Amino acid sequence: MRAAYLTRRRVVVVTAALLVLLLASLLAAAGIGPVPASLWRALAPGAAGTTDYVIVVQTRIPRVLLAGVVGAALATAGAGFQGLLANPLADPHVLGISGGAAVFGAAVLVLGVDPVSPIVPLVAFLGALGAMTVVVLVARTGGRTTPHALLLVGVVMNAIAAALIMLVNAVASYRQAQGVLFWMMGALTTQDYFLVALVGAYAIVGAVVLLRHAAALNLLAAGEESAASLGVDVERVRRAVFVAAALLVGAAVSVSGMISFVGLIVPHVLRLALGPDLRLLVPASFLFGATFLVWADTVARTVLGPAELPVGVITALLGGPFFLFLLRRSLRGGPR
Amino acid sequence: MTAPGAALVVLALLAGCDGAAPPPRAAGAARVVVLAPSATETVFALGAGDRVVGVCAQCDYPAATAKLPKLGGYLTPSVEAVVGVRPDLVIVVPSPGNREAVRAIERAGVRVLVVQDRTLDDLFTSIAAIAGALEVSDAGGRLAADLRSRLDAVRARVASQPRARVLLVVGHSPLIVAGGGTLQGELVEIAGGTNVAADVGNAFPQVSLELVVARAPDVILDAAMGTEEGGRALFAQLTTVPAVANGRIVSVGSDVLFRAGPRVPEAAAALAAAIHPG
Repeated sequence: MRAAYLTRRRVVVVTAALLVLLLASLLAAAGIGPVPASLWRALAPGAAGTTDYVIVVQTRIPRVLLAGVVGAALATAGAGFQGLLANPLADPHVLGISGGAAVFGAAVLVLGVDPVSPIVPLVAFLGALGAMTVVVLVARTGGRTTPHALLLVGVVMNAIAAALIMLVNAVASYRQAQGVLFWMMGALTTQDYFLVALVGAYAIVGAVVLLRHAAALNLLAAGEESAASLGVDVERVRRAVFVAAALLVGAAVSVSGMISFVGLIVPHVLRLALGPDLRLLVPASFLFGATFLVWADTVARTVLGPAELPVGVITALLGGPFFLFLLRRSLRGGPR
Repeated sequence: MTAPGAALVVLALLAGCDGAAPPPRAAGAARVVVLAPSATETVFALGAGDRVVGVCAQCDYPAATAKLPKLGGYLTPSVEAVVGVRPDLVIVVPSPGNREAVRAIERAGVRVLVVQDRTLDDLFTSIAAIAGALEVSDAGGRLAADLRSRLDAVRARVASQPRARVLLVVGHSPLIVAGGGTLQGELVEIAGGTNVAADVGNAFPQVSLELVVARAPDVILDAAMGTEEGGRALFAQLTTVPAVANGRIVSVGSDVLFRAGPRVPEAAAALAAAIHPG
C-alpha cells in the first residue's frame, strides 16, 4: 500500500480510529475470561463484594489494563529503536536491555524475594537501566554512538545476560530455578492498579519523548550528514531516543518478563499500512501495541480452557514466522 | 489397596515365610549411585544406605547424604563423575535433561535402573524395582506396607471431617497450581481435601486469579517458593473466596511435598494438619 503524504488531518483521523479500536478491545477483553462473569453485573452500583465484581474488577480488568500498557510500551519502544537504528529487525530485546532486567530479577528471586513483591519490578527496572548504561558507554566511540555498535554491544550483552541467568539457576535449588524460569517466560498476571498506573505513566512519558524527536528521527533516516546539515543534533537525538525507548522496555519487562516480538511486529505492520513517518508511527504503535497485546493475552487466558498459556508463547508464535518473513524480504532486497 | 500393591505385600509375606536358609550369593548391587532425591530416600529407607557411593547435588536427605560425593545435578548428572566412583548400579529418574548422560553411563557398561517419581503409584512401583535391584525385596515389602498403613492412618484421622475444597499453589507469579495426576493432588485427597484444580489440565497448570475466585476454595495451601506475605498479598483482594475471608491461607513450603519418596506420609500428615487443624 502506498502511504499518502502525512497531513495533520491524517494523523488525527488515524490516531482517533486506533484509539476507538483500543477502547473497544479493552471493553471486549474485560468481558472475556476463562470463567463466566457478567461485566454489567460487576459494574452495576452496589456490586462490590459479589463474585462478579471480584472476578471482573479485582482480577480481570487490572490484567487487561496491564496487557495494554505493556503492549503500548513495547511497541512504542520498538518503533523508536527501529527508527533510531535504521534497522527493520531491531527489537527492544535485541539491545540487551531486557537481558539486564532479567538478570537482576532472577538474582533477587533466588535470594528468596517473592515474585509478587514490588521489589522484583523495581530491581528488574534497575537492571534494565544498568544494561542500558553499559550499552551506551561501550558503544560510544569518539563522542558518537553508531547504530552498528549499539546492535553489536546489545547482542553481546544478551549473551552475557543469558550466561549469568544460567549461572544463577545452576547454583539455585531445583524449585527456585523453576520459579525463575516461569517468571522469565513472559507472562502477564494480575497486578495492583497502582503498579499498572505506574507502568502506564512510564509508557506515556516515553512515548511523548519519542514523539518530540520523531521529526528529527525522520531526517536521520535520510542520512546522518544531511540531517546534521539541516540542524539536527544527531548525537543528542540518538541518546534521548535510546534512553526513552530503554525506559519503556525496562518498565514493561519488569512487570511481564520477556514478552518477545511485540516490539517487532506492531511497528512493522503499521509501517506497511501507514508509511514510515515516525510522527504518526509512534502514537499508532502506542495504541495498536496495546490493542495487540490485549488480544494476545485474551487468547493466552482462554485458549486452554481454565489453564493459561504464557502470553509470550502467543506473541512468539505470531512474531517468529513474521520475523522470518521480514528477513527473507530484506535478503531479497525487497521494499522495506 | 491397589492390585499390584497387594501382590507386593503377598510376595513380601511369602518371602518372609520362607523358612529355609537363602542360597548364599552376592546381595544385589554393592556400589550404588542414586541421581534423584526421592530415590535416594528410598534406598536409605530400605536399609541400603551403606551401599550408596554417590548422589545428586539435590539429594539432601537423610543427613548421611551430606558426606557422599555429589555427582552433578538431579537433571544434569556428570557422566565422568558417576563412572569415576565405579558403581555397579545407577538409579535415575527419566527427564529430557539427563537422557544423553544416562545413555553414556550405560555405554560405559554400568547397569542403569530408571524409576518414575511423579505419583504415589510411581513410588510403590519404584520401591519394588529398587528393592529388587538391591535384592532386599523383604525390606521393600515392609517399607511399602509401612507407608500404606501410615497413609491410611492420615485418612482415618480426617475421615470424620467434611471434605474441604483445597487449592494447592506452587508458584506466585505467574500463578501455578497443582493440577490432576500429581503427587500433591493425591496427598490433598488423602489429607481430607478435594483438589479444586484437579480438572484444570496438565500436571502444574498456570491459571488466572479469576479461576481462584470461581473455584472458591475453603483452604489455599501455599507451597510456592517465596514468602508467606507474598501469598497473602496475592489473594487479599479475593474477598468472596472462603479461604481468603476466613484467613485459611496456609504455608506448607516443604521439600517433602515435592518428593514421591518414603516421607510422603509426613507430607500427607502436614497437609491434613493444615486442612483440618485441631
